[in-house]
Amino acid sequence: MSVDSRQRIIEATYACVARRGMAKTTVEDVAREAGISRATVYRAFPGGRDELIDATVSWAVLDFFAKLYERIQGATDLEEVMERGIMFAHRSIVEHEVLQRVMQTEPDTLLPALTVESIRIREGIAQVLAPFVVDRGLAPGVDLDAAADFLARMVLSYISAPGRWDLEDPDQVARLVRFELLAGVVVTADSR
Amino acid sequence: MGVEHPAVRAGDSRPLVAEWLTVRQIVTYRSNVVRAQGELRVVDTVVPFVAPTTAESPHRVRIIDGTLACLARHGTVKTTVDDIARESGVSRATVYRAFPGGRDEILGAVVDTEMARLFSALGVRLGNAGDLTTALVGGIVEASTRLRDHAALHFLAEHEPGMILGHLAFDESDRLLVTASRFTAPFLARWMSPHEAERVAEWAARIVLSYAISPSDHVDLCDEGDATRLVTTFMLPGIEALQSASSGPIDITPYTSDGSDPDGGPGSTAGEATESAR
Repeated sequence: MSVDSRQRIIEATYACVARRGMAKTTVEDVAREAGISRATVYRAFPGGRDELIDATVSWAVLDFFAKLYERIQGATDLEEVMERGIMFAHRSIVEHEVLQRVMQTEPDTLLPALTVESIRIREGIAQVLAPFVVDRGLAPGVDLDAAADFLARMVLSYISAPGRWDLEDPDQVARLVRFELLAGVVVTADSR
Repeated sequence: MGVEHPAVRAGDSRPLVAEWLTVRQIVTYRSNVVRAQGELRVVDTVVPFVAPTTAESPHRVRIIDGTLACLARHGTVKTTVDDIARESGVSRATVYRAFPGGRDEILGAVVDTEMARLFSALGVRLGNAGDLTTALVGGIVEASTRLRDHAALHFLAEHEPGMILGHLAFDESDRLLVTASRFTAPFLARWMSPHEAERVAEWAARIVLSYAISPSDHVDLCDEGDATRLVTTFMLPGIEALQSASSGPIDITPYTSDGSDPDGGPGSTAGEATESAR
């Protein structure tokens, strides 16, 4: 089974979930959507429906972060990376119709999967941010891994639930990033 | 404690577990906070603000605690009123006398009570703190420890994830953050403007939730030392930076340690607005 066929099956699953939700998506539906036999789907995903759904959530999350990564390309410093990333990620979540709908209709299925994914996501964000933190200059006495993990946790927290911050407003995002989030992590702007 | 609250009507039958963070409750918690501030002690055994639907029953707390034990073993779906009665050591009739609405009403009261217990404990820690660091560390350790040790919460998170995770994701998480920070912000406003206090309280609530949902191998926020390190490394510089970067009259108005509003407009106190030279 090639990577391409797996990919095709996952995208077919995503299309089915987008139309009628996770619970109502069967292996049969996915096979029809992908234009292949049920047996072929099972060869690629022996775990059947559950494995398909998990793989699809993983894929959707990765797809989201691939786009996010693209969006921060060309950013020159840590502040810009975080500002662009937070704004883009927040908007993407709000505008993600499939995510929003499944969240409403099938939270019991989606949330545990997303919670598992969130650990990978957090590690991914921390890895992306760490070199920018080093570039920018780590505050004295601060551990790089601890700082990157903390920033990643906060990014995840804010993009999914902005609370009192308006993440559509570039000035507020700049304030959040430059003052609240980075003040303890990097050497201060004054001493730069 | 038959504390009447205008927002809670008698006979109000609520599918409560689903709406435990309604605006009404936010309002209710808030008004209780203010009242609780004068007398700071843990009110662990009373339901301070849920108006009972009938005459007060002495068995309410016992039944609520019995229900918590049931939830920690079987979750909400498999817990019956019979189970609750057996666990609480009272008769079925006694349960219904205390909670005429039955299971749903009990579950609602459990949520209210657990929230009240958490917030009471937080109020004590925050109220007794003599400085901002102690307040933040105390609040974070208290909330983290209570979340970690809550057996019913853990059972539900594992077996009925929609029930718990639903409150921790996206919009619901927003509501939870608002509730938690509205409660804690007045305590922090002793050291900063009310406006900043709300943001800082929200920030602390985010930190607690993040580490509770997804524990770290390196940071244990139930540990005083780890929490102190996190607060002093990441939060205090952020709070200082936010304060010194603040613009607008509300933000730069200094707040005295007793929380009283200094006289005069923002202009008249600009000299002591921030200690940091800008």
